[in-house]
Amino acid sequence: MPESFALVRLLNALFMGVEVKAFQSIGLGPADAAQQAVKVNGALGLELLVAGGLIAFFVLVRLTLSVEKPNPAQQIAEVVHEGVGGLADQIIGHGYVRFQAFVTCIFLFVLINNLLGLIPGFAAPTTSPFVPLGLALPTFLYYNYQGFREQGPIGYLKQLAGPIWWIAWLILPIELVSHFARILSLTIRLYANMFASDMVTLGFFSLVPVGVPAIFLGLHIFVSIIQAFVFTLLSMIYLSLAVSHEH
Amino acid sequence: MVFKNLVQDEEKFAGERFRSGQTKGRKREGASTVNLNHPLAANFKGSRRNMRILQYVFIALAVLCFAVPAFADGGSAAISLVPIGAGIGMALAAGLCGLGQGRATASACEALARNPGARGGLMIFLVLGLALIESLTLFTLVIILLKVK
Repeated sequence: MPESFALVRLLNALFMGVEVKAFQSIGLGPADAAQQAVKVNGALGLELLVAGGLIAFFVLVRLTLSVEKPNPAQQIAEVVHEGVGGLADQIIGHGYVRFQAFVTCIFLFVLINNLLGLIPGFAAPTTSPFVPLGLALPTFLYYNYQGFREQGPIGYLKQLAGPIWWIAWLILPIELVSHFARILSLTIRLYANMFASDMVTLGFFSLVPVGVPAIFLGLHIFVSIIQAFVFTLLSMIYLSLAVSHEH
Repeated sequence: MVFKNLVQDEEKFAGERFRSGQTKGRKREGASTVNLNHPLAANFKGSRRNMRILQYVFIALAVLCFAVPAFADGGSAAISLVPIGAGIGMALAAGLCGLGQGRATASACEALARNPGARGGLMIFLVLGLALIESLTLFTLVIILLKVK
């Protein structure tokens, strides 16, 4: 099946040969290697596009920073910066600035990936479960890393084990399970919301092909913003729980 | 036929109450405004009996409704219960999610009415709570999508 995006076709043409060769080098036959090789799909292509666009945006803003004459890109960046910063200040509190870059990136990336579903012919990348998983895993690793860094390995383990030492054998497994369940819940929340939103639009499109689905595109915008907000908010809450000191 | 009888019954009971001497179409003395001698109150008992008969009729009709396709099917092919189960599961999840979200939103509204200054913090926790409640329903949806082909 030929991919519809030129970018995806280009990526496949560039990397399929390399991938097949890599598989052959570990001892697979040519046919097996071609079968094993993973093709780039539309979601990954769009993700790369969004990531590239965001990097270009950040570079543009950084290069044209001006106190006297802020250009529109800088205005947008300032709005996002202040919004996320205010939220982080409310939730994480003192010392939130360290985490602001990460949560801002998460917010913008999720938001734009969600909103891409509005363009006819594009499926939002977040409607495939692997994209939210790819966002939830770094979030998990990042907040655990920050917890370790902030409290040291012993302190972080102590926090996982709970405040009372003789009941730690019970609390520790529960805490570990709940931490790993965060990956699952972050992934499935985003994926299922966006997928369900798409399905609703599609369902009404199949019922009434004129006019009515536009209402649900409005709902899609709303859900996109809310879900990006919730993903960011939960990352912040996990971060604040990981770095909080118990007194 | 049946309905004609019912209507006749009703008229008979209504007439009985009127003729029974307890009421003669005039107001009872005293301050009570309870409509014991209201013409409509007179046939209350009869109408209840009629309602019961109607209930039996409808129960029988309902049983017949389900019985006819069951006999017509002849037990040739097993009915797949998977869509029914998926529907019931999703309905339960969505309904209870609605209840939960309603409670959360109601509390948030009350809190906002008492203390409008707390808007910012309230909004964060309201949205967060709603998302967490909703995600349980979406887990159900995902499981249904996984299981129902």
